[in-house]
Amino acid sequence: MPGRSVVVLALALRLLLPSAGQQHREEAERIMTTTPVIDGHNDLPWQLLKRFNNQLGLPEANLLLLNDTHTNIPKLRSGHVGGQFWSVYVPCDTQNKDAVKRTLEQIDVVHRMCELYPDTFACVGDSDGIRQAFQSNKVASLIGVEGGHSIDSSLGVLRTFYRLGVRYMTLTHSCNTPWADNWLVDTGDEPALHHGLSSFGKTVLEEMNRLGMIVDLAHVSVETMKAALNISKAPVIFSHSSAYSLCQHRRNVPDEVLRMVASTGSLVMVNFYNEYVTCRDTATLTDVADHMDHVKKVAGVQSVGFGGDYDGVSRLPTGLEDVSTYPALVAELLARNWTEEELKAALAENLIRVFKKVEEVSTARRSLGHTEHGDMGTHRTRGHIEHGDTYSMGTHRARGHIEHGDT
Amino acid sequence: MEMKRNTTKLLWLLMFSDIVLFSYEKSLREQAIELMQDARLIDGHNDLVLRLRIFYQNRLSAVNLRELNKTHTNLAKLQAGFVGAQFWSVYVLCSAQNKDAVRLTLEQIDVVKRMCNSYKELEFVTTSQGISDSRRIACLIGIEGGHSIDSSLATLRMYYDLGVRYMSLTHSCNTPWSESSSKGMHNFYPNVNGLTAFGQEVVKEMNRLGMLVDLSHTSDMTAKAALSISKAPVIFSHSSAFSICNHSRNVPNDILQKLKKNKGIIMVTFNADVLACGRKVVNVSTLADHFDHIKKIAGSESIGIGGDYDGVERFPEGLEDVSKYPSLIEELLRRGWNETELKGVLRENFLRVFREVENVRNLSKLMDVGESETLQEVQNSCRLDLRNHQPQKVRSFGFSSVTQPLSLTFVTVSHLILYYES
Repeated sequence: MPGRSVVVLALALRLLLPSAGQQHREEAERIMTTTPVIDGHNDLPWQLLKRFNNQLGLPEANLLLLNDTHTNIPKLRSGHVGGQFWSVYVPCDTQNKDAVKRTLEQIDVVHRMCELYPDTFACVGDSDGIRQAFQSNKVASLIGVEGGHSIDSSLGVLRTFYRLGVRYMTLTHSCNTPWADNWLVDTGDEPALHHGLSSFGKTVLEEMNRLGMIVDLAHVSVETMKAALNISKAPVIFSHSSAYSLCQHRRNVPDEVLRMVASTGSLVMVNFYNEYVTCRDTATLTDVADHMDHVKKVAGVQSVGFGGDYDGVSRLPTGLEDVSTYPALVAELLARNWTEEELKAALAENLIRVFKKVEEVSTARRSLGHTEHGDMGTHRTRGHIEHGDTYSMGTHRARGHIEHGDT
Repeated sequence: MEMKRNTTKLLWLLMFSDIVLFSYEKSLREQAIELMQDARLIDGHNDLVLRLRIFYQNRLSAVNLRELNKTHTNLAKLQAGFVGAQFWSVYVLCSAQNKDAVRLTLEQIDVVKRMCNSYKELEFVTTSQGISDSRRIACLIGIEGGHSIDSSLATLRMYYDLGVRYMSLTHSCNTPWSESSSKGMHNFYPNVNGLTAFGQEVVKEMNRLGMLVDLSHTSDMTAKAALSISKAPVIFSHSSAFSICNHSRNVPNDILQKLKKNKGIIMVTFNADVLACGRKVVNVSTLADHFDHIKKIAGSESIGIGGDYDGVERFPEGLEDVSKYPSLIEELLRRGWNETELKGVLRENFLRVFREVENVRNLSKLMDVGESETLQEVQNSCRLDLRNHQPQKVRSFGFSSVTQPLSLTFVTVSHLILYYES
């Protein structure tokens, strides 16, 4: 009967010809082979602390075999992850207690991760380092402090973190610091202490600009976002936040702030956590793509990035269950007519652009004779400052020490 | 007539040779200076950085380190004293133990780095080669007291990454894992004797990293334990001889002998209280007695110098500040110490020790990294207890937080209405 053979023919054709979806998937893999993703935020170090007390030598802590976290080495590889900011988060409960020490311990575990798996991870401290890691097919590993409580209100500690390789700091986690307000102020759960940044908070931000540490505005209140975007001399990032317009969660970025992101050359690295994506406990990959489309629409494609928050959250969208799934998301964006140029920007080029600008601002500020802020002092006359000390990682990977200026 | 002419000739000859000899004979002072110009001092311990905190809150722009006159130390004096390398102590008070010792230590380390980058006379180094090569005053960092690591090996590693190259296992307080020589100054961990198991882990990790183990301020038991387990030579960054003055900060003969076997170094200190045991007259000679004694027991190759300037109040007459080191060398010359021995004391002995410590690091394997868990016994209210930690719930707000109570109310009210209706 003709009807049945048509069906058979249709089925055969369907099987033989690649579907549009498959084509996009292949295209995504192709693009990501030369431009892997730089993800803004991954909490694997926190998992290593909780599960193994940072004892990387334990057989169950083998990152090649680890199977109950979102992240392990094989998954990073199949996900084409070329750069990752590893979060050295310590809980807000450590504020005014042992936050500094605990942060040091998390920084130490990242360093040791790089030492133990040198074929996979390359701990780097600048944009050139990221490019080099891409060339040598390793995961460029950077460090982000998650929460100003980690510095215990000490600029000396902030500088120390920079020397140890930290390249961004999220100004707050989910608690106010003595100098910055967090997102819970916007929900009414916590009282506003500073309506953004206190005077010392502004000093911290200036010092971050001088050092070349990227300012991260995930987790902060809207007033803090605006204050930082106004004051910072360098572009800033949201390492793992999504669009408030699509899901009215106060961890997300409202449109008026997205416009400031656009005008400052800053970056929003979209978070995949269901609660921030759909404001419910379920979501799908297309919901995340909606957020990326929205940020692109309001702030331009140069403002879009990926900040999955893997291993920092419990519920992830169907289709984005772990760090091997980035290509599927890229495929979806291709289906939405994102060009290859635009995808490369979102995957890596935007972050590299921001990082380079942050480095330039730092160099410029140092050579202008801006001194570092003393621990309790304010800005002073010209004098000599050190430029990024040796970022060493325990063994032998110290970069060259560079010095600027004179007395 | 012949004889008289010969005698005159002889007299002229004698006078001539006298003049020649006299012009070649240098004073001991000059010899000392020449020696030190050639072999500038590596000093084991200076507390200027603590003074910068106390007087200037670490605001370097408020002070000119070249001319500073409130302290024993300034740059001009260091140069006059022929100091070629200085370990700056990043001591924080024992009362910070179990509180913010880590943060304070990081702040002191930060000051040293800023200081050494701010003056062209100074140069921050972290290796023996760095010291040898430096034409300026080489800066290094020493932590004074294990309380600075807050029982965390990871923190120790981070200090090493920041450039710290020695740690005194204790200051004047016990840590949960090591015993101090000071009794009764503080109340911390009174039951700790010598080194605990974790204390041994600390020493092993220091060996693996290439950080010098400093035994100044530790008890005799701690010193003996460290000497027996350390794979590398150890130091006393600022201690003197117990035999000459039986102060608990000083090192008894049996430990000096162990130090000799260990090929370590005792950097003799100038604190008048530990040199003279209360005797009124304390001068260069008093200090030199300690040198002579240690040379006798452990050999001159075991000796160095660790002044402790700006760390204590009282110094011997003639050694009031860091410009006076040549007076010590002069005295030792007077006592018959030769150039080789003195160059050893000034720098070569320390460099030997440091090179061997670096060697031990280079031979260590990555897999031996110290991963011992932080001790349970240090748990206190100033620490997060992860075992009992409830992660802060990420609350979802906005719509659902309003609807949940509202919908509950709605359901309850409608039930009540229905109930009453029926």
